[in-house]
Amino acid sequence: MHIGIVGLTGCSGCQCQFLNIYGGLSKLLERAKIDYFPLLQDDNVFEEFDVIFVEGSVTCGEDKEKLKLAREKARVLVALGSCACYGGIQASIEETACGHFCLPVSEVVEVDCKLPGCPVGVERLLESMAFLVNGVKPFEYPMTVCHECRINENDCIILKGGICQGPITLSGCGAPCPQMGVGCVGCRGDSDFPNYEAFVSLCESKGIPKERVEKLLFLFRRRR
Amino acid sequence: MKITDVLTRVEGHAAVELVVKDGKVRDVKIRFTEGKRLFELVVKGKFYQEIPVIVSRICGICYVSHRLASIFAVEDAFGVEVPEEITLLRSLLVAGEFLESHATALYLFSLPDLFGYRSAVEMAKDYPEHVKRALRIREVGNHIMKTIGGKTIHGENTTVGGFYSLPERDAFKKIAHMLEEIMLDVRETVTLFRSLEYPDFSSCHDLELRLDAEGFWQFSDHLSLSDGRRFHKSHYEEFVVEEEVSYSTAKVSRIDGKPFLVGPLARVRGVSSSNPFNDDLARALELLYAAERGLAIAERFAFELPPVSKVEVRPKKGKGFGVKEAPRGVLYHSYTFDEDGRCVNANIITPTSQLQAVIGENLRLLARREPNLAYVEFRKRAESLVRAYDP
Ligand code: SF4
Ligand code: SF4
Repeated sequence: MHIGIVGLTGCSGCQCQFLNIYGGLSKLLERAKIDYFPLLQDDNVFEEFDVIFVEGSVTCGEDKEKLKLAREKARVLVALGSCACYGGIQASIEETACGHFCLPVSEVVEVDCKLPGCPVGVERLLESMAFLVNGVKPFEYPMTVCHECRINENDCIILKGGICQGPITLSGCGAPCPQMGVGCVGCRGDSDFPNYEAFVSLCESKGIPKERVEKLLFLFRRRR
Repeated sequence: MKITDVLTRVEGHAAVELVVKDGKVRDVKIRFTEGKRLFELVVKGKFYQEIPVIVSRICGICYVSHRLASIFAVEDAFGVEVPEEITLLRSLLVAGEFLESHATALYLFSLPDLFGYRSAVEMAKDYPEHVKRALRIREVGNHIMKTIGGKTIHGENTTVGGFYSLPERDAFKKIAHMLEEIMLDVRETVTLFRSLEYPDFSSCHDLELRLDAEGFWQFSDHLSLSDGRRFHKSHYEEFVVEEEVSYSTAKVSRIDGKPFLVGPLARVRGVSSSNPFNDDLARALELLYAAERGLAIAERFAFELPPVSKVEVRPKKGKGFGVKEAPRGVLYHSYTFDEDGRCVNANIITPTSQLQAVIGENLRLLARREPNLAYVEFRKRAESLVRAYDP
């Protein structure tokens, strides 16, 4: 299997997760060959790929070109991380600079599979790679981060008076933030049927100003 | 003829542009091709609590530094003082960041160059122990960042005023134990990078900028220049002048109109900073400092935890500044807030933008000094020169 890892406009954090799967990576390399990964290697070839992982959002012409070429060459194109899936934190810009755009990969080309997260979690990445080498499309479990907090028996941040986007955020990260007493900032994007209004009024009832809640809400979710 | 080569094994998207005539290189430019993310505009209008969350995403490798620089700036603006223990815990987090970042730069980006391989994966076939050593060091760095920061990358536990929560004493015991276990690896790294032969090159810069501190693990409000000048962080923009250039998405900065050096070579004493290729040796030494400093702090907290995790923060109108040594060099953040803690203005100066001038000038020097180098050979030399800075 031939793999490519392409970076558009992001922070390289999601690409670095490939380096963070340690033992898993060498196991995978028995079954897959990384032909294109400029972050890690020289002499990259860009010919035919079974899977291309694309990190980052599209913010310039060069990104668009690169992405379109990737789509042509890849049998399966995976949007890697929240920048690629939703536009990322840089899409939460309020003041639009002239001519500036920031698009998720799926608004430029067809995407076969999305692996959100800022960054994408190592476990999710490894699991998805295992699926892909066996020809199975990885999928997300459409539950909320709250669900994972229950499984891990974390103390609820909202009940403690904090602000946490767990109720409207897609699970799959293992809720590492609430586990440390930090409210989820929603880096994995929407769960199924997110109820923004209810979330805002819940926070308001706890005395958190609406303006702050709304700004937090759109840190990782692109404002429509 | 103009040729643009995209550089590999650098963390940012960098390219060198070569002007070639009769197969010989006549002029060179370095440029960063990555699209603009406009972080100074992204933070505008957001509340201070979200600033560290946002700027963390500037860089997936040195996110701890961006986070902390922004936190220092917010604390400066609001007049927040944190106890010594919180500062120490932040230093431990920084030790984790440097272990991860420097081990990556040394073994995964640089060493394949010096040994003549196209990647660390390929190098692993002949030098498995070197790569395993790198992975062990990175793993400990990552473990520290995950334990204290909350996640390996972009952990959200580090915030204005301190930490949302503290790990248990046992967690520090584990960190101390892990650091002890890689001490030999780290020492061998220093021995290895001392024994290597580096290409000879004399850099164009004569000015170096660093934080006025003992080493990267310490924080300070002052900066020092290699010519003896010392200044407060609030005067940063008077010294370091940034300029937008048409050919690159990163700004170019200069001091007194001239390129200057930041990074391991500007920080570590006892390594000659006139040869950029010595950067790796300085980096190896910093790896050792990171492990030693980290171990001392972890042992202390394994014995007794900090009394508080976070101090109270009250926003007020005003401007604040934060400086910090990131793995690649000094980093500067400044923010202006309104009375509710909304950010109304921001300025961020990264090591990459500060290094761009010195790298560009040195590439031109290379072309001038070696006018007869064939294109392919020149390209190889240029690439390793750029990589030495780990931009
Ligand atoms: S999703 Fe987050 S970690 Fe991944 S590239 Fe974007 S900013 Fe970086
Ligand atoms: S808890 Fe929320 S912010 Fe933290 S990793 Fe999961 S989705 Fe992201």
